[in-house]
Amino acid sequence: MSEIEDQTAALLAALWVKNRPLIEERLAALDAAAATDGALGEDARQQAESAAHKLAGSLGMYGYDDGTRIARLLEQLLESSTPEPERLRRLTAELRATIFPDS
Amino acid sequence: MRNILIIDDEDDIREVAALSLEATAGWDIQTACSGAAGILAAANPKSRPSAILMDVMMPGMDGPTTFRKMQQDPLTAGIPVLLLTAKVQGVDQRRFADLGVAGVLFKPFDPMTLASQISQALGWKD
Repeated sequence: MSEIEDQTAALLAALWVKNRPLIEERLAALDAAAATDGALGEDARQQAESAAHKLAGSLGMYGYDDGTRIARLLEQLLESSTPEPERLRRLTAELRATIFPDS
Repeated sequence: MRNILIIDDEDDIREVAALSLEATAGWDIQTACSGAAGILAAANPKSRPSAILMDVMMPGMDGPTTFRKMQQDPLTAGIPVLLLTAKVQGVDQRRFADLGVAGVLFKPFDPMTLASQISQALGWKD
């Protein structure tokens, strides 16, 4: 890795730490949707879909390619007005475990 | 010196893109958090950008609408615009390309190669 790449990687790592609350906030929207167990209201569904979209577009920047892949699946799932509850729970848990395996 | 205007409502995308382009290419970066703010920044003759990197999905004025408004203003019409989207479906990509933008880049981008992707899309050799 070149010096510029090393410096860029270090700055990116710092941005990941700085932006962790934003990532947590988006995960929380997905957690809330998953916790409704099939009784997902339209506002909550839209918030969760938006959160999944933003996670899909950002996690890969930080090197979490699997996170982007799972977030895309969640976004697709949440495009339905009646997303399958079990799949929503499973993918949300999988996404959290992928991003924050120690939490 | 290249001067890139990044327009995106998401703070972390703006931060990472700006860091990436400054660190890997040494370009000057301006940022705006909305289409309306982006139009104002792009139209400023003292800081006219070499190119604009703009998100598609933004609240208020989205990327395609912002692009169309820029095309109607002689101050901004000649600035090449690259749209940035997390939509991966072909139908979306064709729709964006048909707008007449200089190119479409995809989220998530690789911060190490974003500058080269922009250069390639715009035909920049340096």
